[in-house]
Amino acid sequence: MTREEFITYVEREQEALRGFLLALCCGKKDDADDLAQDALVKAYISSAGYQDKGKFRSWLFKIAHNTFLNHKASCRTMESIDEARTLLSNASAESSFEHQDLYLALRTLPPKERSSITLFYLNGYSIKEIAAITDTSEDAIKKQLSRGRDKLKERLKL
Amino acid sequence: MTKDKALEDLFLAQKPQFDDSDAFMASLNRRLDAVEYLKQYQEATIRRYKMAMVATFVIGIISGAVGITFLLAAPADVPLFTFRLHSVFLQWLSENSRILVAIALSLLMSFGLISIIANIQDIMRMRKKRDSFSFVTENVL
Repeated sequence: MTREEFITYVEREQEALRGFLLALCCGKKDDADDLAQDALVKAYISSAGYQDKGKFRSWLFKIAHNTFLNHKASCRTMESIDEARTLLSNASAESSFEHQDLYLALRTLPPKERSSITLFYLNGYSIKEIAAITDTSEDAIKKQLSRGRDKLKERLKL
Repeated sequence: MTKDKALEDLFLAQKPQFDDSDAFMASLNRRLDAVEYLKQYQEATIRRYKMAMVATFVIGIISGAVGITFLLAAPADVPLFTFRLHSVFLQWLSENSRILVAIALSLLMSFGLISIIANIQDIMRMRKKRDSFSFVTENVL
């Protein structure tokens, strides 16, 4: 894949990718955009080995998902301090998005449940596709979706 | 597994719209430029090292061959070195003294050439770094 082709694909998919990462980062736009850029650079570096031309978005989401999980793992300590601060002061506003109920509710979910829920409800992927993107079994995805849905409904009082 | 309608509606209602796509793509292009630069630099470095290795190998082989030919062509009546002690191993050493010295010389020459080429490369790299650093500081100051 040439750079021009890569850019053309990315221009088409970047909004979906950023929306996915924005939900995973619970509305933190700067973090989401940084992760999106990192994921796209990784995708570009490995684009020579990209074969499945019909599923560029899924391939991109897979890289973005792994980038997000790596980021979460690398800053787990900071994350827990941040969460504790949020619980104590209830005022960790970074952007207007962060005040929205959905993002606050998503924050309470573990990263893998958050990914599955976002891919299922926001991006419209099937369980099979989510299993392929996240490298997890379909049964595990079903459990994550069920648990995540219950937690979100309870939190959002739906 | 069916979708929860209320949850799906909530997600879709809050689907974000991005009005800074151009800035995002410009930033991505800058990062890709940096990646391209690094890739080219890496490829050039690998190419340079390969060339250096080939040159060292060829020069080492030729020098070794010349050294061995010279030693083998010289009169072989008298060994290059002898030992006062008598043992099978030492006798073998003195009998094959010329060829052993030739091999040792070849190895030494090869190591010498490798270190010379490595040093020249280091010097060139340091010069390049110094030049680029002075270019940056000139522009900043």
